[in-house]
Amino acid sequence: MKLACVIHRYGADIAGGSEGHCRSIAERLAQNHDVTILTSTAKDHITWRNEYPAGLTEAGPVRLRRFPVVRQRSLHRFREISEAVFSGGAPESEQEQWFRENGPEVPELLAWLERHGRDFDRILFWSFRYYQTFFGLPLVADRAILVPTAEEDPVIRFGLLDRFFAKPAGYLFLTPEEQTLVAQHTSQPLAPSAVIGIGLDPPRQRPPRTIASVSQPYVLYLGRIDPNKGCETLLRYFLKRQETAGGREQLVMAGPANMPIPDHRSIVRLGYIEEEARDTLLANAAALIVPSPYESLSIVLLEAWNHGVAALVNGRCSVLKGQALRSDGALYYHNYDEFARGLDRLLDGTDFARQLGQQGLAYVEREYRWPQVMAKVGRLLLATEGRSVKFKI
Amino acid sequence: MVSVERVMREIEDDLRRERRTRLLAKGAPTEYRDQELYATVERVLRRAVESRDHGAILLPELISDDEEWQLETHLTFSSHRPIVGPVIVFFKRRVLLPLTRWLFEYSLENFQRQQRVNRILFACIEELAIENARLRQDLQGK
Repeated sequence: MKLACVIHRYGADIAGGSEGHCRSIAERLAQNHDVTILTSTAKDHITWRNEYPAGLTEAGPVRLRRFPVVRQRSLHRFREISEAVFSGGAPESEQEQWFRENGPEVPELLAWLERHGRDFDRILFWSFRYYQTFFGLPLVADRAILVPTAEEDPVIRFGLLDRFFAKPAGYLFLTPEEQTLVAQHTSQPLAPSAVIGIGLDPPRQRPPRTIASVSQPYVLYLGRIDPNKGCETLLRYFLKRQETAGGREQLVMAGPANMPIPDHRSIVRLGYIEEEARDTLLANAAALIVPSPYESLSIVLLEAWNHGVAALVNGRCSVLKGQALRSDGALYYHNYDEFARGLDRLLDGTDFARQLGQQGLAYVEREYRWPQVMAKVGRLLLATEGRSVKFKI
Repeated sequence: MVSVERVMREIEDDLRRERRTRLLAKGAPTEYRDQELYATVERVLRRAVESRDHGAILLPELISDDEEWQLETHLTFSSHRPIVGPVIVFFKRRVLLPLTRWLFEYSLENFQRQQRVNRILFACIEELAIENARLRQDLQGK
């Protein structure tokens, strides 16, 4: 098939979750199909500043076509409109304007889709919240497959999404919870869909190494350190537990920080780390903590299970709670008491955490190896055949 | 094989017992001496806090006019003056807002917290109303 993948930014050096998901799926699709990536010239997801050259290039097994961003994101304007529409009751015109302000505004990509969209058999769009998907998908709806990466945040409540979610010819979801969430926000029956998650390769065996300032036992937070990721609550809960229970464990936080992290003997800040250090940290952690209230799929949780490491996750996020219950590989919490008790269980020195980690690993083996994932994608591409114009093989 | 569901039920049961003891020691309603009654109360309230979609609640729909209950958490700048209006709006947006942004952001966080509490309370009331309606239906059915 001739396929296009549309994403807000693209590149091997881009760390975002949906961008990584798109790249890994596109590169694997390219083993059997003709794949073109349609994206912006932006690298920075805050400003959408033009950094890559526009035009057509080759990027490994895929063809890559970049379009310039005509307007950088004004954070001031974006914050204002977000406050207005998130508080509810905003008219649809204002909701639509939110997608424009969220960016990246790439009108040439839309014009190109209008001219050439029909040359493709299927066009996969990632992340409904960005400009290129929200405005681009309706132009080629009959052959569009949406990977919504939807979360339980205020955007999903926009009234105009009722019509938007009825447009795609098919859906690829990351979890069953995401599928339910999207189905709840459209009055139309959903198009054919598959829950694919993401594929993982078995972890590489690496020689043991130590990371300065990290000592056993430690619990690990891995990812962007940000209040929106639940990190303020995590720090508050962890320090409260250390004070009341006198815990001797460290909380290791690895990732770029967008918020202050308190100076405390139990907290280790590592900043951005390379893949090798990331693997080492994951493999040796007593447990991973995922405090995020909004997730469409926690890849880092799957990575921990891939190393046989158990986790403690935010139970207010239905995706994380669902992953924990389906895998029997993680405990969850809704408040401080459950957080402290869950951590006590995972750090109690018995075989409990190891057993949970092994169950997580078995779940990854069952559901998240690449051959299983790509087989589901392939079946969905075929299942949506009748909904678009007849495609050429 | 460890069942996470079973472990979580154990943790929740333990914490429920501890919370009840703690509340009774602080002078909570004597009804809480009845363990089962306490568990039912907690279950109803937890359902409102944890399981309900706080964006889909009946009470705000009945109040209907958002302005009567919704906290205004965003700023809108306007002027009623026909000619100098745009200049005034520009001045407010570009001069006054940057000067007072710290105050706006400080109060914004508190307003958002209050908004969340309001929605949880709406959800609690709705859960109680649902419970009440079910009991009525059961009684009428008998």
